[in-house]
Amino acid sequence: MPKNPSNLKNIDRLIHEPTRLMIMTQLYVVESADFLFLQHQLQMTSGNLSSHLSKLEEAGYVEIVKEFIERKPHTTLKLTKKGRKAFREYQQNLKQVFSDLPK
Amino acid sequence: MSKKTSLREVEKRTYMSYHQDGLLDIFVGAYVLLFGLGILFTAVTDFSMWFVIPGIFPAIMVPIWVSVKKRITMPRIGYVEFGSRGANKLMAIFIGLMVAGLGVFMVFTFASRSQAWALTLRNLIISNGMIIIGIGAAAISSLFAYTMGLKRLYVYGLLTLALFFAGHFITIPLEYFLLTIGLVIIINGFVLLMRFIRKYPLPQGDEANAEKSL
Repeated sequence: MPKNPSNLKNIDRLIHEPTRLMIMTQLYVVESADFLFLQHQLQMTSGNLSSHLSKLEEAGYVEIVKEFIERKPHTTLKLTKKGRKAFREYQQNLKQVFSDLPK
Repeated sequence: MSKKTSLREVEKRTYMSYHQDGLLDIFVGAYVLLFGLGILFTAVTDFSMWFVIPGIFPAIMVPIWVSVKKRITMPRIGYVEFGSRGANKLMAIFIGLMVAGLGVFMVFTFASRSQAWALTLRNLIISNGMIIIGIGAAAISSLFAYTMGLKRLYVYGLLTLALFFAGHFITIPLEYFLLTIGLVIIINGFVLLMRFIRKYPLPQGDEANAEKSL
């Protein structure tokens, strides 16, 4: 058990889910990306990606901008300030959990 | 694996995937090729135009590159904006290159003076010109390869170094080396482009409207 089990409670469960963690990581390293790019990078179905993005949007972590370019729907995605902060905190908390584990 | 490395890897992979279409290679190859043609043209006609290409080419080709990227790459794999971190790194390289260029200019200025050591330096530069250009080009190529995470730029750098090193011993005019390097890079670019188009066909039907579900 970790020295301080309360650190585990600080882990953001919304980000901790593997698929959402992949989405957050991908968006963290870029300024913004569109839906198609994210879908290709993460090799996900559109339905799966949409449902996870909706959850991240609800939490205020991802900003979704929908527009029409040459009469085609285009969706741009980017991490919000809150999302970037949450991701950094998630990193730190996870690191803390592992450093608390006995060797 | 540390988190920093992991994030860097994701960043590199993202960058690589956006430049797997070969367009960068086609345009860089065209630049080198035109540079070689400019020197050749100057040698044949006595009309100095080789120095025009480095200035004019980017101004014309960058908008074309953006337009081609929009028509070929983006509809297939989507669009990504990399933000200021990547741009800052590239800017650092450009500034570094400018400083290096200024350094080379200073060396040449000093070398053209009549002191004995300056003359020795000048002769050294002239007699090893091909090797110096080769090392410089390979270093620049490697710098971009490292920053952009594009390994094939190392290969271009090595090819340039090998050809210019050979050019030190074989008396063939510089422009033919540039033409060869430019052609090799362009051909590789077209091979990558064909592969990219085959690998990522244009989304059709429901696939094209995938984001509607969001």
